[in-house]
Amino acid sequence: MAARSEAVYPVGWKSGRVASWLVTVDHKRIGILYIATSIMWFVAGGILALLMRSQLATPNEHFLTKDSYNQVMTMHGTTMIFLVVVPIMAGFGNFLVPLMIGARDMAFPRLNALSYWLYLLGGIVLWLSWFSKGGAAHAGWWSYPTLSENFPWASPGHGQDYWILSIHILTLSSLAGAINLIVTISNMRAPGMSWMRMPLFVWAMETYAILLLLALPALSAAVTLLLLDRTAGTHFFIPPEGNIVLYQHMFWFFGHPEVYIMVLPVFGMISEILPVFSRKPIFGYKAVAFSTIGIAFFSMLVWAHHMFTAGLGVGLDSFFMISSMVIAVPTGIKIFNWLATTWRGNLILDTPMLFALGFIGLFTMGGLSGIFLAAFPVDWQVNDSYYIVAHFHYVAFGGIVFGLFGGLHYWWPKMFGRMLDERLGKLTFWLMFVGFNLTFIPQHMLGLLGMPRRVYTYNHHGLWEVYNLLSSIGGGITALGIAAFVANIWIAHVLRRGVRAGNDPWLADTLEWYTTSPPPPHNFDTVPYVTSARPLRDLRRRLAEQPQ
Amino acid sequence: MRRKLPSFVLVVLFALATAGVAAASNGGFTPVTPESPNASHTQTAYYVILGFTSAIFVLVEGLLVAFIWKYRARGRARAIEGAQVHGHTRLELIWTVIPVVILCLIGLVVFVELPKINDAPAANDAIPITVVGHQYYWEFEYPGGARSIGTLHVPVGRVVDLNVVSPDVIHSWWIPALGGKIQAIPGRTNHIWFKAEKAGSYEGQCAELCGVYHAAMTAVVQVESQQAYSSYISTTARQTIGRQEWTGVCATCHGNLGKGGYGPDISASTLVTSRSSLLGILREGVDTPGRPGAMPPVGIDWNNAQIDAIVTYVKKNIYKPAPLGGTSGG
Repeated sequence: MAARSEAVYPVGWKSGRVASWLVTVDHKRIGILYIATSIMWFVAGGILALLMRSQLATPNEHFLTKDSYNQVMTMHGTTMIFLVVVPIMAGFGNFLVPLMIGARDMAFPRLNALSYWLYLLGGIVLWLSWFSKGGAAHAGWWSYPTLSENFPWASPGHGQDYWILSIHILTLSSLAGAINLIVTISNMRAPGMSWMRMPLFVWAMETYAILLLLALPALSAAVTLLLLDRTAGTHFFIPPEGNIVLYQHMFWFFGHPEVYIMVLPVFGMISEILPVFSRKPIFGYKAVAFSTIGIAFFSMLVWAHHMFTAGLGVGLDSFFMISSMVIAVPTGIKIFNWLATTWRGNLILDTPMLFALGFIGLFTMGGLSGIFLAAFPVDWQVNDSYYIVAHFHYVAFGGIVFGLFGGLHYWWPKMFGRMLDERLGKLTFWLMFVGFNLTFIPQHMLGLLGMPRRVYTYNHHGLWEVYNLLSSIGGGITALGIAAFVANIWIAHVLRRGVRAGNDPWLADTLEWYTTSPPPPHNFDTVPYVTSARPLRDLRRRLAEQPQ
Repeated sequence: MRRKLPSFVLVVLFALATAGVAAASNGGFTPVTPESPNASHTQTAYYVILGFTSAIFVLVEGLLVAFIWKYRARGRARAIEGAQVHGHTRLELIWTVIPVVILCLIGLVVFVELPKINDAPAANDAIPITVVGHQYYWEFEYPGGARSIGTLHVPVGRVVDLNVVSPDVIHSWWIPALGGKIQAIPGRTNHIWFKAEKAGSYEGQCAELCGVYHAAMTAVVQVESQQAYSSYISTTARQTIGRQEWTGVCATCHGNLGKGGYGPDISASTLVTSRSSLLGILREGVDTPGRPGAMPPVGIDWNNAQIDAIVTYVKKNIYKPAPLGGTSGG
């Protein structure tokens, strides 16, 4: 990478404690801003989830009104997907990718800052929509027309318009971020770091970025047409002239790759954490790397499995069943390689490892319940019920959030220079593990019993009551786990009890642990020549072999 | 792992407890007891997939727990490395090929069951019924033009062909015991069928978010004798349609006595006693600018007989000085 002439250390007012964060173009600070903002919205979206679980804890509850329930439900989904999971991946990518490939910064630091500020703006637009005329959007996170159209009995008011505006801003943010990641990874790797020596997290981020570029334009197009319908009097999605199924296709053409956009970086984190805490190399590096690409490819071909109940006909349904099942194969390859990575290891069960192992157990459950949904005649029975709510939370919470918490605990010392407390970390894990399963296992049963998703209340007793109550209790326990995590941060940083981390507290394998914790603005004084996928282990061994 | 044990015991106890509760009432672990051939065959496919996925689940989770147990550090230092194994091509092939085989088997079973789930059995006496999803009720139109609201009456043992449509937003028709669901999409006609084998009433509700009262959009399929069905569509439906419209459509928002709930009190409004003004409200809805939950055009497709019936019913039963003890329909 060519040296940049810009001053490394900002001058004047730009060096103030707050101002330096506002004007920063340092990938590490931008990454931390991304992660901190995402965590803030994770807590906000989690509170919405608790509101919903409170409303559903008992039959015929009046905790929330039906109006506000639909807004809360829509905002929970939109927030968790667009304001938490996608941007927190961008945050980890920003912080870690240049460090992992031994680069000085991202390829386009200013574009990088723009991506973050657009993200923050998109989130603010979305959350201010609570105060707009008619309240926030209430047509669900996929906003199917005609419920999302501007009819008095559908979505009048401006909540839906702000939702669309927010999606547009967030899409621009993600596209800019994706281009930045691709250019950085393709061009700025350390000497000797061939594609086959790249950390698996970097493989995952490259694939994440490519998928974003391919999938997001479909979403932008869909919500633009929806906006025109709402404000310019067009009828793209209003029958008889328009076609609602077209919107479903456009949305899910984005929506399914989106699932993998969210989960592939987590796969990458797991592939980093497991070997380090097993004291082994990853089992089947090439299989794990190429299965990432396989998953990404097939993820573009499965979208209509979200539409099996739209009456597409058995021809299309069969195609999308087969493609959806195909995607289980590369996913299975990853699971088995991860299991094999722990085989004959020296498993250090620190908090990051607990979350990574928990991820394997929970994500497997989410993957297996997905096979029922891929088989479209069975999907006709269970789709749009609480079964599917359970399924995608096993993927999105049991999988993605557990993986993210593993990543947060693992890279925390690198980001902030202090260790988080292990006892509190383990408490976080166990509260989340027990709480999560208690929340979502019963939801499988609720769906099979016939409870549709997105209902604000129900008038059934017996099993419905039992399962719903258990689920709500589980939600509370999960929240305690998150509270333990926040307390851990508080104790480590505000009370300054966190032990100072050295460069490499976990004896890890990849380049980010070569520099100090936290790294200096320029990242590295020197970057070693990379001879394998585990440059730091190579370095440790070389040091050990040297006399003295 | 020592730390993992207590919570494993917890999870196992929880699973046993729920299994007990669920088994006691035959609910929770499989779809509800099927009462129609398509639902039965769906159940078969479900069991086959459950068999395969349970085996994989036990294998993966078993290996995970076993490896954690066996290879945990037990106080060994972090610097001590595990076996430096980088991979194994034959193993990679095995765990690629075996899932492919399992998925092919599952796919095969699905395609064998599919015709029995998707295609209605050939029958000369199949009954075509139009199901209209409305905000926030189901309307049924029988051969001969009779209509009912909320409750679908069908004879036992006959194939029923449903044409599922919607004039407003997407809804989803779902009676779990009688097969899967199908969306009612404006501008489209979708099809689904069932053949109820036992008399009884089967409940379900709309499965696609359709607005504020999505949760109130329930449906009952009343399976009865051929005779009862014939008499229902020839006379009873026509006699009771006014009451059905009030309780199934209007009362959801305006309360059983019209004294208001989510919607305004209409029991003393002269708008509802004039046929022309009521017709306008039913066909067009009522806009409440800027507020969600304006009155939808609930009677957009109602025929003259239905309009007459609701006018008559409202005049007779609702439009009167306020009685004591009005309840809201919320």
